[in-house]
Amino acid sequence: MKIYQLVFRDTLRRRRRALFTAVGVAIGVAAVVAVLTVANAGEKRIYSEIDKYGPNMMVTPAINDLDLKLGDLRLGSLAVGNNLIPEGRVSEIRQITDGAIREALGIQDQEDIATIAPKLFVATTVNGTSVMAVGFDPQQESAIKTWWDISKGRYPEQQNEALLGDRASSALGVDVGDPISLNDEELTVVGVLQETGSQDDYQVFAPLGTVQKAFGKEGLISSIDIRALCSACPVESIADSINKSIPGVRAVAVQQIAESEMNLVMKVNRFMLALAAITLVVGVFAVVSTMMSSVHERTKDIGIMKAVGASRGQIVRMFVYEAVAVGLIGGIMGYVAGTLLSYVLGPLIFDGLPMSYAPQYLLPALGLAIAVAIVASVYPAFRASQVRVAESLRAL
Amino acid sequence: MLEIKNVSKTYGNGSSSVGALKDISVQVDDGDFVAITGPSGSGKSTLLSVIGGLEKISAGEVLLDGRRIDNLNEKELVEIRRNKVAYVFQQYHLIPSLTALENVLLPLTFHGLADGSRKKAAAMLQEVGLEKRAKHKPGQLSGGEQQRVAIARALINGCSLILADEPTGNVDQKTGVEILKLFQKANEDGHTIIMVTHSPEVARRAKRIVTLRDGEIVDQVNQEGCEKPSGKGGIIQ
Repeated sequence: MKIYQLVFRDTLRRRRRALFTAVGVAIGVAAVVAVLTVANAGEKRIYSEIDKYGPNMMVTPAINDLDLKLGDLRLGSLAVGNNLIPEGRVSEIRQITDGAIREALGIQDQEDIATIAPKLFVATTVNGTSVMAVGFDPQQESAIKTWWDISKGRYPEQQNEALLGDRASSALGVDVGDPISLNDEELTVVGVLQETGSQDDYQVFAPLGTVQKAFGKEGLISSIDIRALCSACPVESIADSINKSIPGVRAVAVQQIAESEMNLVMKVNRFMLALAAITLVVGVFAVVSTMMSSVHERTKDIGIMKAVGASRGQIVRMFVYEAVAVGLIGGIMGYVAGTLLSYVLGPLIFDGLPMSYAPQYLLPALGLAIAVAIVASVYPAFRASQVRVAESLRAL
Repeated sequence: MLEIKNVSKTYGNGSSSVGALKDISVQVDDGDFVAITGPSGSGKSTLLSVIGGLEKISAGEVLLDGRRIDNLNEKELVEIRRNKVAYVFQQYHLIPSLTALENVLLPLTFHGLADGSRKKAAAMLQEVGLEKRAKHKPGQLSGGEQQRVAIARALINGCSLILADEPTGNVDQKTGVEILKLFQKANEDGHTIIMVTHSPEVARRAKRIVTLRDGEIVDQVNQEGCEKPSGKGGIIQ
């Protein structure tokens, strides 16, 4: 019989005690695993919640507004440069933006990552009323403006279909199914937006190509809204590289949004970590206290073992072995309990978000449990090794 | 050979101090079987603890095979317990979660002698007549059986000196005789035995009786030849 066999048998026969200690470990580990699993599943949800903030970068033509001043007298401003961007720039901007994110996150596949919504604004008159006609990409635009809701109909799918802002619809007296003409281009209204409280309410939206053709601005756009969220690559630096490599455009990071987004992500991460750390500390104390009472309970046994030739080192080793066994059991229990707990808590926190089993946490959870059990048993084991034979055998 | 030279043990300090052992000198030769007897409080158990290195002494010295053992550090004590001195207690002191066989194995386990140890432990159990109880735990054994397991455990490491503290104190007379026979057998096999007992009948089983009173030796009787080790225990009855 080796010492580890002795410990194994002893622990096995004192199951209830061992189980009690293991539960202490399990509570700590379960809390950490639950927090991590929920955080893992919730991360995407957090990002998509953040996405509702709208674009975090805007690209406009590089027009230099020169302020004309004479002393304190302001004489207006002088615009220098072209006020439209060639459409070809869109793909260059996508390359730079997606490239930066790919590089920062180590993504291999070549699918589009950032949401890039080009637009062409043209002031025009419809049914005798001045409105802004907007050429847009329905898919990208609705992806950026997640708050958009269609109150009637649907988004345009064909080139000859139009979408109206809520106010535009009532001002022009045009509803879903009615025809509308943009500079003699005949379109059908297929949808009306719900009121947004923004300028969108007053605009007439049609596919980019249709508006370009109607107003003779083929291949041109006015501005691009970009949504590029990536914790490792600040949008400021993406904007910088766009400004450096693409002439004639000016990319500006929407600072406020970008910063508050990153803050939010960081705070959520920190909160999760703090929560995990606290539960871990509680777990350690639970194990220390059960280990201490285990030592106390076995003062006599330890005395006997020393009487038959156990050294201090062997007594310490026995407690460490026991800690490993208890840690392993506690780790498995904690992992299972934590996963189950996350399936209950996750949907509560993230409105019914489905949890997914996180096997990547199994080994770290076991390692953590064993480490916690060993750390927690160091002091009790030391105390145990100090038990004196005479004292323990007399105290009967 | 064990030599106890002018050993004193005092509890407490100054005027409130109590002398548990007062200037005791005893010599125990190899192969001896000594019974230490006396009324309770006479210091007999203290003397045994001192011999076994369980308690420090206030004065004098204890030598085992010419080496002082009264001032050993922890490491040296472990060495002594593994190779020289084994204990048998009145309360048996078996580990309750281990079987009889595993309890007997315990000294070998800590000594790091795992090879063939199971066989050896089984043989020891057979020696004390408990081969059929090998898989039972202490709770399932009678007092006498537990004490026999404890004796097998004391003998397995081949320690030359066995210290027994009231080994028959918790069992009935008949069982007591059986246990004493085991000690006598061990003594015949070459083990030196020092046994504490308050019972004169039990003490008469030994080769020599040392009687203590108030921490002092009041009588030493060498009864070799008077008592056959193989006697049937008529004295106790």
